[in-house]
Amino acid sequence: MAAESKLAPIRKGLLEFLVLKIVGAKSVYVPDILRQLAGTEFATQEGTLYPLLSKLRREDLVHYEWQESGAGPPRKYYQLTDAGRVQLAALDEYWNLINRTIANFGH
Amino acid sequence: MQRIATTVRLNRSVLQFDDAANARLEQYLAESASLLEGDPDPQEILADLEQAVADQCTRRLRPDQTVVTLTELAPALEEIGSVQAPGNSTTSPSPPPREAPSRSLQQVSQGAVISGVCLGLARYFQLDVTLLRVISVLLLLGTGGAMILVYLGLMLLMPYAPLQPGGASIRWLPAKNRRFMEFLRAKLGVDRPGKITA
Repeated sequence: MAAESKLAPIRKGLLEFLVLKIVGAKSVYVPDILRQLAGTEFATQEGTLYPLLSKLRREDLVHYEWQESGAGPPRKYYQLTDAGRVQLAALDEYWNLINRTIANFGH
Repeated sequence: MQRIATTVRLNRSVLQFDDAANARLEQYLAESASLLEGDPDPQEILADLEQAVADQCTRRLRPDQTVVTLTELAPALEEIGSVQAPGNSTTSPSPPPREAPSRSLQQVSQGAVISGVCLGLARYFQLDVTLLRVISVLLLLGTGGAMILVYLGLMLLMPYAPLQPGGASIRWLPAKNRRFMEFLRAKLGVDRPGKITA
């Protein structure tokens, strides 16, 4: 489908916003994030998520702490930093703004 | 029947892999490392991926099973997916991969026999790779084995060419050597030229 080639970059661009939203809601580890995204248009894989989280951590938007798990090795739980919260609020606001803009056209 | 298994440390987990699964794992990790070239922090992402592979394989093992085979590894890697670099809003998008043979001296893992030194030299000097391999073997015999040191030196110093998706596959030995050299370089602090620092 021709539209798909235009939709893919939109999803790719929005994934970072969505990950910030998920991490912002509560402290999560990567399988939690994958589970929340699975079944949506934004379903993704560890191969995509780990490089993205590494970038967000370098930009000081998220940080993680190790937590022991009942079974298996300790897990990395991700949270937003203060800078991450500020950026998420800005993205949220901008997203609402462009949604309204788009809805106002084409009538 | 005797099945030979290799014990592999994946980040914080230790698992046993049979030969086929081990070769596939080496290939996946070498590909991932290659795809992360240019990323400022590849070690952390690779450690996370190793852990993901370990967790996924552990989850798929039957209760009485101790050795990971392709039956567990293949779907695990399928679920993890290949490495996708995140789009970076602060810098311009990375240039498309170079198609033409690069003018820098690089080891070529895809189609290599030992580590890709001969293949890389052949590409650089635009020579036939078989000719170069024959010359290397003759030199090896002629120098009473001292040629090995030259080869090892080149293996340690020559950077790796980026993997071409859809290119020749990587054999078991080059994948193993590549992983070991990357480990050794990290330990010795031999920096790969062309690496972009943030």
